[in-house]
Amino acid sequence: MLWYYLWIAPHVLQGIILFAMVRRGLLRQFPMFFLYTGFEILQSALLLVVAHFVSYFGTVYFQVYAVGLALSTAIRFGVIYELFSHFFQRYPALNGAGRWLFRGATLVLLVVAVGLAVFAPGNVMDHVLKDAAYASLKTTTFAADRAVSVLQCGLLISLFLFSRYFVLSWRSPAFGIALGLGTFAIAELATTAIRLYVPASDETFDVAGMGIYHLCVLVWILYLVRVEREPRINLQTLPKYDLEIWNRELERLVQQ
Amino acid sequence: MTFTLTITLVLVSVAFVGLGFLITLARGRASASKVLDNPTEHIRAVDLAAFQNLVDPDEEAFLRTNLAPTEFRKIQRERLRAAVEYVSCAAQNAAVLLRLADAGRRSPDPATADAAEKLVQNALRLRLYALHAIPRLYLGMILPGVRISSVRVAERYEQMTRLVVLLGCLQYPTRGIATAL
Repeated sequence: MLWYYLWIAPHVLQGIILFAMVRRGLLRQFPMFFLYTGFEILQSALLLVVAHFVSYFGTVYFQVYAVGLALSTAIRFGVIYELFSHFFQRYPALNGAGRWLFRGATLVLLVVAVGLAVFAPGNVMDHVLKDAAYASLKTTTFAADRAVSVLQCGLLISLFLFSRYFVLSWRSPAFGIALGLGTFAIAELATTAIRLYVPASDETFDVAGMGIYHLCVLVWILYLVRVEREPRINLQTLPKYDLEIWNRELERLVQQ
Repeated sequence: MTFTLTITLVLVSVAFVGLGFLITLARGRASASKVLDNPTEHIRAVDLAAFQNLVDPDEEAFLRTNLAPTEFRKIQRERLRAAVEYVSCAAQNAAVLLRLADAGRRSPDPATADAAEKLVQNALRLRLYALHAIPRLYLGMILPGVRISSVRVAERYEQMTRLVVLLGCLQYPTRGIATAL
């Protein structure tokens, strides 16, 4: 029951995100995120159909899952690039530094991710599987997923660090998208890393992953549905020396 | 196996640090409004003339000629440490003004919004220069003789100060800059 709830509920909630984005005009600002959300809904529906009518979590199911994961990952890179662009558009002074950061961080993280995929490709659980092709597909998928997680997690953390140093203000929707995506990338990184060593069942990892994804969807809803409040500068309480200034000004006016 | 375990532990640690950072950032976003409530509390005094003197190459050359090498290195380290402190203060002030100006960018008055926009861009440039200058100052402590260009930090800080005054006058014409901060 919990399994099905975690599988279906986040994608139903993502429908609310699509609706809110269209209604609030956020589609034009974040087209890649809109595409990602729509794709996730479609992918989930397709996997549900495959699991129940074609192959019950067998090879075909995993093949569809792997293709979907690859496409979803590519779109997520698009969302990250969109966040970088959206962010630096508002701060022209940082355009050069921002571009340099994106390229530099991508290059360094790419080296780390490829190194990780080459030197730690294995998945302990898969070695015991009898179907060699299926095991190989799973191992490759998880290794690629781990490498991509390192890359996405690193890029988002770089963006957060950069914005923190430069005290850049995040508009609520952009912050919400980055926060949800960051949480998801971090969770993916942790689960794919644990998968490397801890011989727990796939189901345990899947439930954990789906639970975290559900949380990320809730974060997106929270930031994309609610209307952003304008920050206010509180200057209602007047400093004491204001009286002196007013008095001086009054004296000046009287003397004129 | 040990290698796999090490990688697992490293990645999980990175994930935890990342998660902690995200939580801190989300909480920091909420506390940012506290700075807007009372910006003066977060502004620190910066003596630009003193800073320029500290990183002045002529001053350094004078000290080098008149002091013994050991004495000069010791004094130069102290001077550069003080310069780091000045740059950090200027960068911190820029951060406070960034928050203040960022709110001003959404002002319905075009002149205020324009001044706020300029202040934001200048404060960002100052923080960018501080990011370059501080490591160079530390490098100067290790390797005496490394030239530090103070001009850009100082100029940017002066420009920023002028913009703060302008923004204050536009936002609070009857009160002056003291109350704008």
